[in-house]
Amino acid sequence: MSGTEQGSGGGYRYGEQHTAPPVRRVTDVAVERFEDVYEVDPRLMTLHVAQQLFPNWDTLRIVAGREDHLAWMHRHWAHTVVSGQELLDEIEAEERAEGANGAAP
Amino acid sequence: MSAPATAAAPQLPDRLLAELVDVLGPAYVLTSKTARYNRARVPAPFPVHRWPERVPDLVVLPGTAEETAEVVRLANAHRVPIVPRDGGTGLTDGAVPERRGIVVDVKRMNAVKEIDTDAWTATVGPGINMLKLNEALAPHGLIYPDDPASYPCSLVGGRIGTSGWSLVGSRYGHSRDLVLSFQLVLPTGDLIRVGDGGGRKTSKSSSGYQLKHLFMGHQGTLGIATEATLKLYPKPEAELSPFFAFSDYDSAHDCVRRLARAGVGVFAGAVLFDEWKVDYLRRDDEAYIPQPKDVRALVCAVAYGNEDEVRAGGRRLMRIARDAGGRYLGDEVSQGDWAARHDRYATPLHGRTREGQVAPMSWHCEDAAVNWARLPAVRREWHAIVERLRERHGIFDDWGMFCYTSADTGVDYLTEIDVGIWEQRLDDEAWAAWVDAKRDIADVALRHGGSISACHGSCREGEVDLVPLELGGGYDVMCEVKRALDPHNIMNPGKYGLHRAYSDSGGGSGPGGGDVGGSGEGVR
Repeated sequence: MSGTEQGSGGGYRYGEQHTAPPVRRVTDVAVERFEDVYEVDPRLMTLHVAQQLFPNWDTLRIVAGREDHLAWMHRHWAHTVVSGQELLDEIEAEERAEGANGAAP
Repeated sequence: MSAPATAAAPQLPDRLLAELVDVLGPAYVLTSKTARYNRARVPAPFPVHRWPERVPDLVVLPGTAEETAEVVRLANAHRVPIVPRDGGTGLTDGAVPERRGIVVDVKRMNAVKEIDTDAWTATVGPGINMLKLNEALAPHGLIYPDDPASYPCSLVGGRIGTSGWSLVGSRYGHSRDLVLSFQLVLPTGDLIRVGDGGGRKTSKSSSGYQLKHLFMGHQGTLGIATEATLKLYPKPEAELSPFFAFSDYDSAHDCVRRLARAGVGVFAGAVLFDEWKVDYLRRDDEAYIPQPKDVRALVCAVAYGNEDEVRAGGRRLMRIARDAGGRYLGDEVSQGDWAARHDRYATPLHGRTREGQVAPMSWHCEDAAVNWARLPAVRREWHAIVERLRERHGIFDDWGMFCYTSADTGVDYLTEIDVGIWEQRLDDEAWAAWVDAKRDIADVALRHGGSISACHGSCREGEVDLVPLELGGGYDVMCEVKRALDPHNIMNPGKYGLHRAYSDSGGGSGPGGGDVGGSGEGVR
């Protein structure tokens, strides 16, 4: 199947799936290929750990599966997850209001 | 599974094998190499090159308490070692057969026998795990909040044998508090029930000796739990788990104390991560926390309960952490990391060689119970021990430390150092160095007034040598209890140095008698 045929049919593009997005270095030991997906720098896995060629969809599937699992765990333990940021915003809004009141004559 | 039981169990008399098959049926007496080797170890690292030393002669899977009792009676009559095995997730080798014999795998006894929605209790077989139990409880709006890092895979019976520690124990208590009563097969095969008094669903009794605690945390040396009645709670409406970054350890250390002492009713725990642990999280793609280099410690606070109470208490906790110098890490990191802590056994692990290359290492965690004021000193000494170990043997790696509140006031902390071990590279010399390091780690905890273990137990090579030192005269009582209840030392022999209990009785007649060298030699 040619690339043109794949493109029109939306089929599996081997070349595309086996070409990872450009690497963005995050630290001296971590890189990022997909947004918010951090990977150990492949240069550190050359001697003792065999590297496996992953199609891109499989990497994203594993990440999505992990997120599903964590979401399931939240639901399993409680009906609602309270946002810490929301609480912090409330605290700071109150403090601003108190500060404004205190500053009034 | 129905192959003749004699096929691969050369250490046991044919008559015993025939009797076991009569009791259980041939399908539940396993003799294959895979069945036996798969039940020879637990997740804690062990000398892989010596695996065959720890393989049982056979495995049985009883389906009832009565079958379990009959198996134990037979083992006692034939003086054959017997080792209970639940999830096999413990970190102190409780389920490892050190003297061969019979492994009793309880996984068939996994029924939810009763959910009492009046008393809020559940009665279950020992082979059920907490996650599956909570799926059954969810339709009733109830939860059993015993929450180890092995939550999806450890079993209720193993939690009894370990007297387990729970991540949310500061709110709901630990296994000892949540297990109201349980049925137990004694080493002689007698079946009893222990709890607070005689009531199966009683949480507090002053009637008679309090035997429940005696039969929790014995690591399979005093019997096999065959049924448990558990205390339930309403499933929490809300959860909160904020993470905070600190630029120095001392501020984070101070913060966990303030959180624990805040008197927040929904407070379920606080966790302190040190600089080594933050570094580990930075290099591990599964748990990667992209934070700047000036982050040198983390603190997590956890709250569960009714939503209005979690919001009110949570605001207090957020303010305390912020005022202590903590920078909130945001909802994504906070919520994601906490959810993953219910299931740490699923985390893929890799360590680093001294040259920085990734190597396949397995995880080991040394733990202790330590008071808050001693945490900084224990931390320094523990890291120094692991650093010396790593200098000599590059197959070890320091993965940092956690400290978790064990109770609501922060009176003491489950203190852990995680060590990566490249098991395939272990040899006798490296293993001996590891055992020495474990003993040194336990010694530090004792010198600082703590206990060798808050969570795992203390019967592995190394730390077990110091258990008599820790318990003093209590260890002598422990030996007397062991000998009284297990006269032939058939129940999990080799653990906790309990062969000493038989040293003046010609105990060599039993499988783990006084003439058998145990792991507890060389007590100081």
